[in-house]
Formats: sequence, C-alpha cells, structure tokens
Amino acid sequence: MALLAARGLTRRFGGLTALDRVDLTLGEGEILGVIGPNGAGKTTLFSLIGGSIQPSAGEILLDGRPVTGLAAHRRVRAGIVRTHQIVRPFANLTIFENVMVAAIHAHRRTTGHARDRVAEVLELVGLADRPERYPGALTLAGRKRLELARALSTGPRVLLLDEVVAGVNPAEALAFAQLIRRIRDERGVSVILTEHVMPAVMSLSDRIMVLEYGKRIAEGTPAEIVADPRVIAAYLGSEAGQGAAS
Amino acid sequence: MTPPPLLPRRMAGAFALGCAVLAVLPALDLSPYAHNQLTLSYVMIAGALAWNWMGGFVGQVSFGHAAMFGVGAFVAGRLMLDGLPAPLCWLAGGAVAGLFTLPVHPTLRLRGPYFSIATIGIGEVSRVVFTYWEGFTGGATGLSLPVTAVQKYQLYWWALALAAMVALASIVIRRSSFGLRLLAIKADVDAAADVGISAALYQDVMFALSGAVIGVSGGIFASYFVFIEPGDMFGFDRSIAFVLMAVIGGVGTSLGPALGAVVFVVLRTQLLASYPELHLGLYGVLVIVIILFQPLGITGLLGSLARALARRMQRRIFGRPRRTPPPAPGEA
Repeated sequence: MALLAARGLTRRFGGLTALDRVDLTLGEGEILGVIGPNGAGKTTLFSLIGGSIQPSAGEILLDGRPVTGLAAHRRVRAGIVRTHQIVRPFANLTIFENVMVAAIHAHRRTTGHARDRVAEVLELVGLADRPERYPGALTLAGRKRLELARALSTGPRVLLLDEVVAGVNPAEALAFAQLIRRIRDERGVSVILTEHVMPAVMSLSDRIMVLEYGKRIAEGTPAEIVADPRVIAAYLGSEAGQGAAS
Repeated sequence: MTPPPLLPRRMAGAFALGCAVLAVLPALDLSPYAHNQLTLSYVMIAGALAWNWMGGFVGQVSFGHAAMFGVGAFVAGRLMLDGLPAPLCWLAGGAVAGLFTLPVHPTLRLRGPYFSIATIGIGEVSRVVFTYWEGFTGGATGLSLPVTAVQKYQLYWWALALAAMVALASIVIRRSSFGLRLLAIKADVDAAADVGISAALYQDVMFALSGAVIGVSGGIFASYFVFIEPGDMFGFDRSIAFVLMAVIGGVGTSLGPALGAVVFVVLRTQLLASYPELHLGLYGVLVIVIILFQPLGITGLLGSLARALARRMQRRIFGRPRRTPPPAPGEA
C-alpha cells in the first residue's frame, strides 16, 4: 500500500481550476518529483497535501487513512510536513530555537530529548556551528537549510519540498541534492519535491509527475519524462513537441 | 544536551530577595503616600504583565482588557457585599474574567490591527452593557465595598503577592518551550502551523489566562478604591493604560511591563496633581518617542546603555572597540 495517496484532488479558486482531478501515490522511501511550467498547480498541490488549504473535491490518504479534513498543524503530527518556496523562519527565535520549537511538538517527550534531536538535525543540514545566531544572519541557502531542519525535526514521514534548491548557486544546489538523498536514505523519509532546476529533479527523483494547467499530463521515470512529447510540448511549445515525437 | 533551567538559581535568589525587601518595607515607617504608590504599582504590574502575555508573547495587541478588569472587579465586589472573604472574591472575579474571554475567542482569528480594532469594540460593548446592568453593577452610581482601613492597609501584601506570582509566571513562560511556541506564533501564524503548532489553541489559552489575571488585579484594585463604578472600571482609558505600561516598559520582554507600570503609576499621580489635562498628551508623546527610537521601551534603553557602557570599558582597557551583535527583535 502506498504511504501517501491522493485521489481526484481538485481545487478551484473562484472560476479558476488550479488543480483538476489529480491522482498521486508516494511509496515508502520514494522521492517523487513534481514538475510543470509556472502556474501548473505545483504549489497548490503542496498546499492541499500540507493542509493549509482544503480541496474542492477529492481525498488524501496517509497509510490508507483519510487526512483530508485535518488542519495543517494536525497533519504535521500525522507525519506530513512541508517547506515553503519563500522561506519563513521565525525571525525572533535563534536558529536553535527555530528547530527546537518544531521538535517539541511532534514528539511528546521531555525537553531534554528534543534538544538532542535538534542538535542532530542541525548537524545533518550543516547548521551546527553557532546555532545561537538569528536567522537574519544566514544567507538564503542557510535559511533554506534552516527551513529543512525545522521540517525534519518534526519527525516527518512525508516531506514536501517546495523549490528548495531554487535561488541558490550551483554548488549549493548540488549539496542540497545530496542532503535530500541522505534524508531519504538515512531517515527513511519519503519526499515529494517541486523544482525548476531540472538537473536537480532529474538526478534526485525516482519518479516524476508532470503538471500542466492543473492536470497531470505525464508520469514516469526521469528518462521516460525527458523523452515524453507531451512534456516537451508543455515546456517548449507544441511544435517542439511534435518535432520530438516525429 | 541539558536544557537551561526555567528559573536559574541566581535569578530566583535575586527575585526572592527583591520580594522580601518589598514585603518588609511597610514596617520601616513608610509614608502613606509611598505605601499608596507601591500598592497601586503592584496591582498595575500584575495587569501590565498579564496584558503582555497576549500583546507581547502571542503578539495580539488588545485594546479591550478593561473588560476583564471590570468583570473581575464587579464579580469580586458583589461577592464581598455578600460577605465572602476577600481573597476568595478576587479569585472568583479572576475566574469569571478568564471565562469572559471565551465568547470573544472568534476575534483571535483576526490578525494584527484587525484584532486590536475588534478588542476596542469588546471593551466598549462591555462598558455599555455593564453600565446598564444596574442590578449587578449598581449602574452609574456604582458599588461601595465593605473594606475596612486595616484591610485596605493589608492590600499592600496581597497586591505584592499577586505581582510577584505574575512576574514569576512571566519569566517561566518566556523561558519555557511553551513560551517558545508562543513566540513562533507571534512571528508567523502560518509557519507555526507548518511545524505542528495550533495557534488557535495557544491564543485561546493565553487570552483566558491573561484575562483571569487582569480580573484578579481588577478585584484587588476595586477593594483598594472601595468605591467602583462601571464607566471608570470598564473605561477605554483603562484598556489604553495596559497598552501604555507595556509599551513604556518593553513589549514582549518578560519583566519590562513591570517597569512600565511603576513609571505609569508614578507619572500619572504627579501629572494628575499638577496638570490634570496634560497627562494623556504626555503619554502620547512618550509612546511616539518610544516607538520611533526604542521599540523595547525602558528595557531596550537599559540594554543599549549596558552595551554602550561595556563597549566604553572595553575601549578603556583594550583600546579598541569590540563588535557587538545587534540585538535580536523581540529579545530582552
């Protein structure tokens, strides 16, 4: 059984259908890439799975149990955590406290244990030196690492990464890709990620889903996706797609 | 890794010593004027700190805390007229004031200025309703409470005990993981939800606790003034006073509002005596100056003074300025 499944997920904003009957499955320990042009519905999909907005139709199952009606904070406790494209650190808390505040909630253990977990997570993402600083002192890449650390410390089973590599330099992007793979390998966390940086998605994902205008237009391994004429059409225009198909 | 203690031993020692000194002060031939100013300050310290739990810790600035102040005062007053012992009446007043926040909990879904505006409405509605509810509050004629001169003198210690408890609670909340969650909610409600924190729950709890403490301080205040009247107890001035005390002392710091409360009480007495029309104007100017130049109020001012002094000492000893990190927002 899939760890996470969505069936017929639909979300309308007024007259605009941002997401139209999208099905999705995510296996245990799998990395699923979601790609698509701007406005394809990637972030809407994440918001629906994360619970910050509710679907107009369709349902979301975690371990076969519906989580559709749950508020965002309850989904976090169920094991679904998201990061944002535009990072939102708690500016009034130190780096350590930012991660700490996420750790204490998901695990109802004593504070002492939570602190150890935080130190561990900070070590993993590479923010272990000077955790007493405030997020304002970090570079963008550093703040993205913080966002990742904060999500990780809640002890997620499904991690939703919204453009975690976007806006950082190529060396950092490579480091992020390695980090995400380590998170999957060492912690057994399943990942759904959206990304505009194609090499990152292609090398990281076990499977890729392509969205266009809120619809799922293709799904498969990275190799299948780059050869799919519908995908090429969506990205480069229909003539290019036909060219590739012929 | 061991967490830092909620109340470090040195802090607890200093706190206990401070309370002990204040508790024996009346034995040292304290003038009635000083006795009065201190008692009032304690009541206001409790109120300002409790307001700060909402306005400073959770970041929801209330302009309607007079509602809970008044409810606490009149519930306590009524029960005292029924002959119940005063401390019991104050606690009951606090409990009712805490419950009073629950029906207005939908306003907590509003953020920033929208919440503040809604609380103005709550304060004003309460004032009008309780003024017309003559059977309970005595209407515009108010209530006279059965408080003897001796009891009134003893209120010094009751008010001190309340202020000490609320101050202690403020320190512990601010340093606990519970306080950390409150600060996260203050920083970003949505991001807090993304890490599993239910902002709604914490805001409800803090609003009720804050209201309850304000209610108790309202009860003690009522006993001290013996005569209470809804137009005054529920007045907008009272709501503003809590905001002013916290802003003057330092919004969001654990004990800043206590400093603000002392300054407020003393200033108010001085100004009311000499320039009765001027005092609100002066507060206005004070708040503008604080918000422009020192958002953390007196606490922030003391902090920068301490840093400047440390730099100067350093320069004198080592001959070179030390780079100090900028103070973090919201940090005392």
